[in-house]
Amino acid sequence: MLRTEEMILNVGPQHPSTHGVLRLVVKIDGEVIQEAEPVIGYLHRGTEKLAEDLTYTQIIPYTDRMDYLSAMTNNYAICHATEKLMGIEIPERAEFLRVIVMELNRVASHLVWLGTALLDIGAMSPFLYCFRDREKILDLFNELCGARITYNYMRVGGVKWDAPIGWLDKIKNFVEYMREKMKEYHGLIMGNEIFLQRTKGIGIVSHETALSYGLSGANLRCTGVKWDLRKHQPYSIYDRFKFEVPVGTRGDLYDKYVCRMQEINEALQIVDQAVEQFPEGGAIMAKVPRVLRVPEGEVYVGIESPRGELGCHIVSKGKDKPWRLKFRRPSFYNLQILPTMLKGQNIANLVAILGGIDIVLGEVDG
Amino acid sequence: MDIWVILGPVIMLFLVLGFVTYAILFERKVIGWIQNRVGPTQVGPWGLLQTVADVLKLLIKEDIIPRKADVGLFKLAPVLAFIPAFAVIAVIPFTESIKFADIAVGLLYYMSISSITIIGVLLGGWASNNKYSLLGGMRSAAQMVSYEIPLVLSVVGVIMSAGSLNLTEIVHAQQTGAWFIFPQFLGFIVFLIASIAELNRTPFDLPEAESELVAGYHTEYTGFRFAFFMLTEYTYIFGMASLITILYLGGWDAPFGLTFIPPLIWFILKFSLFVFFLFWLRATMPRIRGDQLMEFAWKGLLPLAIFNIFLTAILKEVSFLSHYF
Amino acid sequence: MFGLLKGLGITLKNMAKPKVTYKYPHEPLKMPDRFRGIQHFDPEKCIVCNQCARICPTDCISLTGKKHPDPGKKGKIIDTYDINFEICILCDLCTEVCPTEAIIMTNNFELATYSRDQLFKNIDWLHENDQNIRQDNVSMKPKPGGSKA
Ligand code: SF4
Ligand code: SF4
Repeated sequence: MLRTEEMILNVGPQHPSTHGVLRLVVKIDGEVIQEAEPVIGYLHRGTEKLAEDLTYTQIIPYTDRMDYLSAMTNNYAICHATEKLMGIEIPERAEFLRVIVMELNRVASHLVWLGTALLDIGAMSPFLYCFRDREKILDLFNELCGARITYNYMRVGGVKWDAPIGWLDKIKNFVEYMREKMKEYHGLIMGNEIFLQRTKGIGIVSHETALSYGLSGANLRCTGVKWDLRKHQPYSIYDRFKFEVPVGTRGDLYDKYVCRMQEINEALQIVDQAVEQFPEGGAIMAKVPRVLRVPEGEVYVGIESPRGELGCHIVSKGKDKPWRLKFRRPSFYNLQILPTMLKGQNIANLVAILGGIDIVLGEVDG
Repeated sequence: MDIWVILGPVIMLFLVLGFVTYAILFERKVIGWIQNRVGPTQVGPWGLLQTVADVLKLLIKEDIIPRKADVGLFKLAPVLAFIPAFAVIAVIPFTESIKFADIAVGLLYYMSISSITIIGVLLGGWASNNKYSLLGGMRSAAQMVSYEIPLVLSVVGVIMSAGSLNLTEIVHAQQTGAWFIFPQFLGFIVFLIASIAELNRTPFDLPEAESELVAGYHTEYTGFRFAFFMLTEYTYIFGMASLITILYLGGWDAPFGLTFIPPLIWFILKFSLFVFFLFWLRATMPRIRGDQLMEFAWKGLLPLAIFNIFLTAILKEVSFLSHYF
Repeated sequence: MFGLLKGLGITLKNMAKPKVTYKYPHEPLKMPDRFRGIQHFDPEKCIVCNQCARICPTDCISLTGKKHPDPGKKGKIIDTYDINFEICILCDLCTEVCPTEAIIMTNNFELATYSRDQLFKNIDWLHENDQNIRQDNVSMKPKPGGSKA
């Protein structure tokens, strides 16, 4: 018997595909992973602690920077929680605008995932194609709220800007365009044998494991659990739209891929309906006091961000600042399953599995 | 002594350097176009001097040798990788008259010399004393050794048909019969796949899988040593593209009797076709996983290559087909 | 095998498609009107109400006022007004609360310098930054263009 030795490999925080500044300490035997331990915190900014010293409006730009790939949903989480605690009714028009931007942001976020996950397994061009199409969404947002990544678009009680002239038409065109492009992605990826080989049966998670780890979003749905907060605990005006919740069966990387791709389609579907039903006229801001004093109490809201359940828990003592604010950041919860998934895998699967979970380090570290 | 014995290789070296410079630019342009970008445009007109600038940058960079590296081997590795890459070009005939060494076992020479590079790569990975380099070096050694076998076996069909190991003779055989890509189609496919694997290019670029192993065996290399590894890689593209042109695409033979175009141009055309194909592939394909790669070599390509030999042997005996085999 | 060929076909087709990259910085990027760039400050309009400094989530505005030089008039006028662009996140909140539109956004975004000190902009610099000023500064109101077109 040959004497073999385990080797500790330090992946990250400057490794090209840890999606930001994640560090993984991997113990490998040959090319087989024995143990993997994520080390996080390189991007910790203490958003929750900072928020205790900020007024509710001031917190909104900070949430932009948590999950920077879908800042709109983060904006919504904090606004929605505050509104719930204050009992504010949101004007219809604002709700429609919110839904449109959130769903477009979901598309943008999934496109980044698709591009980077494929880049991880070595396909270069889809990454550029994804960013080409995401660019279109960012341009639309830029026109709406003046920023491409950190939107700071929603306010407690509504949204900051109404849609500019012709914006809704552009959205419509974009939905058409994107549907066309989805076919291209399918052609480029779905039939590709190498891609199938690298994703089918890799990183399987059973739905019991997924539930016990508290996974959410596509990571949970790919295991066959039909759970989407938009459908099962409707918030905003999601109950008015028809859409499906795509689920997988085996819970491997391929299912994750299929789920997310279908989610893009469903998101486009929702945008389409929202533009169709967009109300004529009406306010975009509810009547809110100049200084937001939130009544004493506690509230938790959970919404479906592109990565899973994004929760916002506010404890208020009746001041204009929260006494304690806690975000349930889905990337952080989803990342916890990584050591379990990596055990016994070939090292070449490491990046593929990590890419499949779809984490955003800004959100993991808070 | 003939002056050309000295001058020829020097000219060739500059030709190869020129090729490498513009192959890299061409690669970046092609991949850029495929990805709806324009590629490099800033240095020189149309970005023509981009690679020159890059190489210049590499040359004036600080030469860093990791403290724990095995200095001797670390320095030796890039040289050991590059010399065979350049040496194999000696046997390649570009036209009837432009060639250096017309040795009888040209093909064998190419195959055997080119495998020395693996030692350079393995040494580089080992001597860097870096885990990523080590993994990358091991991977490439394993990969190159496994793919060498189907590569060599796939050309056996060509050798049988041409009845010679001399590359000029092989082209002559194609000038009289058909290009070997047609009768030897199976062999061509095996050769194509194995050669891409030999070149460590996508989808077989595991040794330097940048998203997994940072940069593979040359992670620790900087400056001109790194440049040498890059040079090796692209020189092999030059060699392999020439070889595939000669073995399967009829070398400088003009198709459809279009003989008014000089043979050298034909050679360059076919050659560029293969190079373009490599870049195109790189822009499209994801990477194969290590174990699947090995499986593919031993369970897929090897039997195919052997089958191809038998097929060639049998068809050679069929009277009305034997002209082509 | 077929899937691989299909993928190759798609990439080849894309090769002929128009390029989507911008020629920045050779051609300036045109940003939409609402774009949040570096602020323009108009000292004439400022009433030194301090609202912008108070709302700023990163505390990057510092301002001081002085008594109105004309003894007949009440109130203050602005004396110094600095924004530290090292920490300004261009969140748009200061321009949102300013009652007189003394501080407004422009579409300029090029802030790169060689030294951090240069990112500290004072009242004069902000006043001179008067190109590409945002036209539409009244947010929170429904716009006619927002209706279904
Ligand atoms: S844009 Fe935001 S961060 Fe910048 S000065 Fe205004 S309020 Fe402060
Ligand atoms: S909010 Fe406007 S008016 Fe008030 S101090 Fe700031 S710039 Fe001046």
